[in-house]
Amino acid sequence: MERSAPVIRDAPGGMPAVGINVRGAAAREAPALSVIVRVTERPARLEAIYEEYAPALETLGETFEFVFAIEPWARKLAEPLLRMADEGAPIRVIEFARAVGEANMLRYAGERCRGRILLTMPAYHRVRAEAMPELVRRVEEGADLVAARRWPRSDRWVTRIQSRAFNGILRRLIGHSTNDVACGVQAMRREVLTETPLYGDFFRFLPVLASREGFRVLEVDAPQHADDRRTRVYSPGTYIRRLIDILGLFFLVRFTEKPLRFFGLVGGGLAFGGFLVLALLFVERVFGGQPIANRPILLVGVTALTLGAQAIALGLIGEIIVHLHASRSRGYRTLGTPDDEGDAPADPEDT
Amino acid sequence: MLRPTDTRPAPGWIAGSQVVAVSPLGGARARFVGGTGIARGYVIMKTPEISVVCPLFNERDNVGPLVDAVASVLGDRWPWEFVLVDDGSSDDTVAIAGARARADTRVRVVRLARNYGQATATQAGFDVARGGVIVTLDGDLQNDPADIPMLLEKLGEGYDLVAGYREERKDRFMTRTLPSRVANLLIRSLTGVPIRDNGCSLKAYRRELVERLGLYSDMHRFIPALAVGTAGARIAQVPVRHHPRRFGRSKYGLSRVWKVLADLMTVIMLRWFRDRPLLLFALGSLAALGVGLLFTLGSIVMPLSGAPGAQAVVLPGAAILLIGLSLYLLMVGLIAEVAIHRAAGTRTPFARELGRRP
Repeated sequence: MERSAPVIRDAPGGMPAVGINVRGAAAREAPALSVIVRVTERPARLEAIYEEYAPALETLGETFEFVFAIEPWARKLAEPLLRMADEGAPIRVIEFARAVGEANMLRYAGERCRGRILLTMPAYHRVRAEAMPELVRRVEEGADLVAARRWPRSDRWVTRIQSRAFNGILRRLIGHSTNDVACGVQAMRREVLTETPLYGDFFRFLPVLASREGFRVLEVDAPQHADDRRTRVYSPGTYIRRLIDILGLFFLVRFTEKPLRFFGLVGGGLAFGGFLVLALLFVERVFGGQPIANRPILLVGVTALTLGAQAIALGLIGEIIVHLHASRSRGYRTLGTPDDEGDAPADPEDT
Repeated sequence: MLRPTDTRPAPGWIAGSQVVAVSPLGGARARFVGGTGIARGYVIMKTPEISVVCPLFNERDNVGPLVDAVASVLGDRWPWEFVLVDDGSSDDTVAIAGARARADTRVRVVRLARNYGQATATQAGFDVARGGVIVTLDGDLQNDPADIPMLLEKLGEGYDLVAGYREERKDRFMTRTLPSRVANLLIRSLTGVPIRDNGCSLKAYRRELVERLGLYSDMHRFIPALAVGTAGARIAQVPVRHHPRRFGRSKYGLSRVWKVLADLMTVIMLRWFRDRPLLLFALGSLAALGVGLLFTLGSIVMPLSGAPGAQAVVLPGAAILLIGLSLYLLMVGLIAEVAIHRAAGTRTPFARELGRRP
């Protein structure tokens, strides 16, 4: 019954091979919709997720499959799923050889599943099931990625304030972003996943990154699930990590192609300030005859100059890397030419 | 990795076993075209000799006249193609360009997924252009396509890049012409590439140069300096006409001053130190070390000489900072060497065989 686990050979950076248990559903036709459930932290009962969301998706009237991406520790949790798959439920379980993070889970599971449209969610209840078909429908209507925003919300104010603050900071810095980044329930066209560079903790910013790639991103309100109502207070480390994520995203979005514009501004400002201080001291020393060797301001000036030079040097390194990279890869995404529509030629890479 | 987005057969393609296209400058090229639906594998095609590339961003009123002008200038004198790159326009530029492409198969449209900026849009055009000679011009009709034959003639004299310069600019002096003059003076003197007008898009390139340029970010402003610095291109300049903008709005403003300055720093570095970044950082390191040593000397001598106000913290502190900076810069330079080293060999040197080919 169980197929031998294929090995993904192009796994980057020495990522261990990925084993896939395919049962039941594998033999069927490719479904229209693949639901990728990322099983990471605090999962709900996995079979409950299937039982709750599958009937809602049936209302779409299209074929679908559920793909559960799990790490080895969750194998026990997945056993009921495999039993259901044996009984004919459209369920697949992909087990990664080690904890690879949600970004890799989504990317590799996305490559392995067959739906034209992907719907992804964490392994716990975020939004009510009846909201799911709407997400898929919006993608079918032409959006490239549709993110759910938990609304109306019914959880405690502590949680809500955190969420507001996080999303507010994000929007302020990035300019455009969705209103509920943490929700993690998204429907998308397949290409979004294959063409948006996605790794590590930037996973949660997929809507932002996708819209940077020129995909049409939409946000749709979905009522919050009753189980999602718990008050959440995380460890300080988590908050710091989220802030670092935002900083990283901010830099990536604004300055990936021109690091010197950022480092040059910071470094140039510091160096110029330091230079002004030193120039002033120089004038005082030479024309005013005042001793400067005992004035801490001299240290301030030299420190500013030093830091400025370091920042500029880093910016130059960044520019070298970008320049070398630019000659090897193309930094844009094209759409089909307008005259292609209707008689689009077969893409040689797809066949 | 690079794949032309449009793999449909162009007019003049013949199914066969081998591709040979002869450009007006005598170079022969072969090109693989996969999966056209009609024939797979190698296909003989008569490549256009001249590819005109033009990035467009919200230029709905200019597209039509532009295509007409280019078509009437190039006419039947050479096989040509006109690559219109839509840089994520929000108006109906794409629709108009698409209609022109359907009406005339020599016109091709590349659609970018969003607005990437002029440099990337131009590069996208380069990536699909098939001609042995590539001409770029602005989408706003301020360049005159009638100047193209003159550029081509100059290119035929043996240059890799012929850049137009606008003799009489028809723009506002304070916000456009004056900043541009200052920028040109700066670029000229700091890169050592004597280009009069870096802002003029009307240029003709030999294909071999285009393949080495790799434009990104806002590097279109520095094409001549990059062409000399990274590819060793030979450049000529010719005066071209310049018309005032007829339709649409200018997409530039004064806000770009900082961006241009930062990019200029990058270009200067690439021009002089691309293959030896350690030298650049080592020079900075030496300067810091020199000043640091001066401070060290001061911190030793001053207390000995009993100078007033000499103190045990400030001067040694400054010395330590500067010597630290010196070490830091040296290490950054080494990292830069690592980056360059990893990329070595990915670029073929720009060379040409002298003498006439048989």
